[in-house]
Amino acid sequence: MSDLFIRKATGLVRSWSVFDAFVYAFFSINLVTLGLYIFSQMYYFEGGLIGAMLLSAFFILFQVVVYAGLIAVMPRSGGDYVWQSRILGGGIGFILAVTGWWFILWLWVPLYGDMLRHIFLTPVLALLGARDAALWFSQTNHGLFIATLLTLAIVTFYIMLGMKRYARIQKVCFFGGILGLLIVVGLLLGGSPEAFQAGLESNSAALFGTDAGIYNATAAAGEEAGSVLGLTGGSFGVLLLTLPYVVFFNLYPNWGATLYGEVRGATDFKRNFAGMASALVVTTILGILTLLAIARTIGWDFYMQANGAWWNYAWGLAESQPPLPVWPYPALLAAFLTESRALQLLVIVLMSLWWFGWSGTVFLSSTRVVFAAAFDRLLPEKVAEVDERTGTPVIALLLMVIPSIIVSALFAYDILGFKSLTLAATLVIAVTYLGTTIAAILLPYRKPDMYNASPIAKYKIFGLPLISVAGVIFGGFLVFLLYQWLFDPNAMYGIGYSINPDGYKNGTSLVFMGVLYGIAAAIYFGFKAYRKRKGLDLDKVHAEIPSE
Amino acid sequence: MTTLFFATDIHGSDICWNKFLNAGKFYGAGVLILGGDMTGKAVVPFLDLGGGKYQVTLLQQEFQLEGEAEYQEMVKRVRSRGYYPYRTTPDELAELSQDPDKVHGIFIREVLRVFEQWMEIAARKLAGTGIRVYVSPGNDDQFEIDEMIRQSPVLTLAEGKVIPLDSHFEMISSGWSNRTPWNTYREEDEPDLARRYEAMIAGLKNPQLAVFNIHVPPHKSNLDEAPELDENLRPKYAGNALKPVGSTALRSAIEKHQPLLGLHGHIHEGRGHSRIGKTLCINPGSLYEQGVLQGALVKLVKNKIESYVLTQG
Repeated sequence: MSDLFIRKATGLVRSWSVFDAFVYAFFSINLVTLGLYIFSQMYYFEGGLIGAMLLSAFFILFQVVVYAGLIAVMPRSGGDYVWQSRILGGGIGFILAVTGWWFILWLWVPLYGDMLRHIFLTPVLALLGARDAALWFSQTNHGLFIATLLTLAIVTFYIMLGMKRYARIQKVCFFGGILGLLIVVGLLLGGSPEAFQAGLESNSAALFGTDAGIYNATAAAGEEAGSVLGLTGGSFGVLLLTLPYVVFFNLYPNWGATLYGEVRGATDFKRNFAGMASALVVTTILGILTLLAIARTIGWDFYMQANGAWWNYAWGLAESQPPLPVWPYPALLAAFLTESRALQLLVIVLMSLWWFGWSGTVFLSSTRVVFAAAFDRLLPEKVAEVDERTGTPVIALLLMVIPSIIVSALFAYDILGFKSLTLAATLVIAVTYLGTTIAAILLPYRKPDMYNASPIAKYKIFGLPLISVAGVIFGGFLVFLLYQWLFDPNAMYGIGYSINPDGYKNGTSLVFMGVLYGIAAAIYFGFKAYRKRKGLDLDKVHAEIPSE
Repeated sequence: MTTLFFATDIHGSDICWNKFLNAGKFYGAGVLILGGDMTGKAVVPFLDLGGGKYQVTLLQQEFQLEGEAEYQEMVKRVRSRGYYPYRTTPDELAELSQDPDKVHGIFIREVLRVFEQWMEIAARKLAGTGIRVYVSPGNDDQFEIDEMIRQSPVLTLAEGKVIPLDSHFEMISSGWSNRTPWNTYREEDEPDLARRYEAMIAGLKNPQLAVFNIHVPPHKSNLDEAPELDENLRPKYAGNALKPVGSTALRSAIEKHQPLLGLHGHIHEGRGHSRIGKTLCINPGSLYEQGVLQGALVKLVKNKIESYVLTQG
């Protein structure tokens, strides 16, 4: 028996596939790019990485509830910007959205570039016999800067292709990347520590010209660097302190949330939740399996020592070059378990699909925010123009690309200590999430009619709205992260003003983030004043019209 | 100077209709234009269980109602989303499930009943205000509502007409769209749309000072990007893959005649503005299910657009 009669009308579509939503979220919390990159930097932490991954995933599940709930109440509305604007006010919505979804992506570009050189350019060039080029990309600031420019070219190409074609590319990359990871795990599980050690010695010498004894030399350099991160164990308190690092990898299962479509019932809410949550859970499990496979054959201690040796040098904490002259990329290390160059190359190319299927996310969301701001007359009309011939939003793209080149140069050449800003890339996004989370907590009380008419109105915990309860838990988690990042009481993260006497007081980081928020505030208040002089009261156009 | 407020695709939402009628006073607009798709998409059965008890399923959640107060509160909630409440019995519901014609009859009856209420509200709110209101039903709207608009003392049925907005500007209007996968009431092939547009354009004194109030957006205008669907009408790639679905005939007409302004709707997620040559095209989008009236406020002076902004009221 039908509980709803629907007539023929435009836009009455069926629900999208949960698997498709899963793929987008799965790439957003990317194990191979974000995960392996940030895990490698955590070599000096105490506490077990598996416990840290599980604990962070637990807290981030509440984020998934918050965002799935907001989509259910206000779908297709433009995401964080609109949710915050409608519930907290236009100024907060604009400032937090443009910083979290646009400006901070300028800093993400060199990070994407750094990952591109480590997981694709360097290993592929080395396997093709171009040792000098491989090492140039891996070790030099010029190499990083060029890798960043290549990143910009690739993501610009994605923008020109459009979301439709990029979604297809992403799906191919998903299956190819999974195949690559299975081969890597298979190689690791099929190999032995002795075989790895021998493979490292021979392949490293052949590809990078290293001396004999690289295994022991790397272990010694890593030990000197203070590599202590364990795979398991760690008290709850110690694990908590790893989270501000781990979330660099997994804080974004909601990255596609702003795109999700019409929600007509509780089923769609559950589908939203399932798409994002399953990505988080599957990625966490895959991550743990990969780490266990690494530990089995490469050896956990050696892997972390190699990471410590690399980053200690990369961050300028050690003067001598690490014995292994490239980032210890687990896929490359696993590929050393085979003598076949073709198979090694196949592994690296397949694994690089994790980067190629993910890198488009850096600008696709940003251009949406630029457009939304222009539509709200908070930017000039021109920035929302699309070139008719190529279908490319040229000016919006330039607003991403030009600042990204500047920030990339600062990062690549470590001008003003920009290489220390990695975690700031997540901090600014977390601030945006906090604004949205506060909006979610208040939603049932600030917009009761809208909330009560939504499919999540019936979900309650101890009589309280589920979205508010989940928001309080996730909001508390974000506040903890922000406190740790900004005040750094244990001197562990280096992007804030540490209140620990031995901690780093990172003026560059604070000024950089302050400038981003300052630019956002200047645009908002500047354009508001300008439009007012032209007879447009932007407060009025966002105010609710009386409905009685 | 003429200040016009344009909204579209309110799909039966009482809240959005009331907001639309109040928008003239709220924004200081002398002309209100509703771009079409005024009627709702679904009827929600209120199952009479006897003894003043009802069972309602809304958004896949089942509600047990008791008493008139709870009943009326649920009616309000259903109406706020643009759906039509329909009191029925288990026997009738079982019968309706097997009989699409009867369901269609209920749809028409409920649409017209609500529309009649809307006409009364409009007459009450707008009488004597001097605010002009132009309405052109969209492709999702049944033809039966046209006559009710014609009968209204405060609304003007704009479909197919050339309407002077002031001494400088004229407006043409149409709610017809190009073909959709849903085979809706007012859709036709592109050549037919082209003839429809040209017939109106021929009546314009100066097309370059005209407003094209056309429900469907022009093709590839970025205002017409809708989720790409598979053969089962399921969005591909979780709705991330978008494709242009606007009218090529309209695009050609705009490129050829270069009107001052295009006002469009149809694609709810297509909120934005873009230029086709000199023509500013606007689609304010729609969030009718949340009771949010998205619109566009445009000030016209002499021979140009002095200012415009998308609103979210």
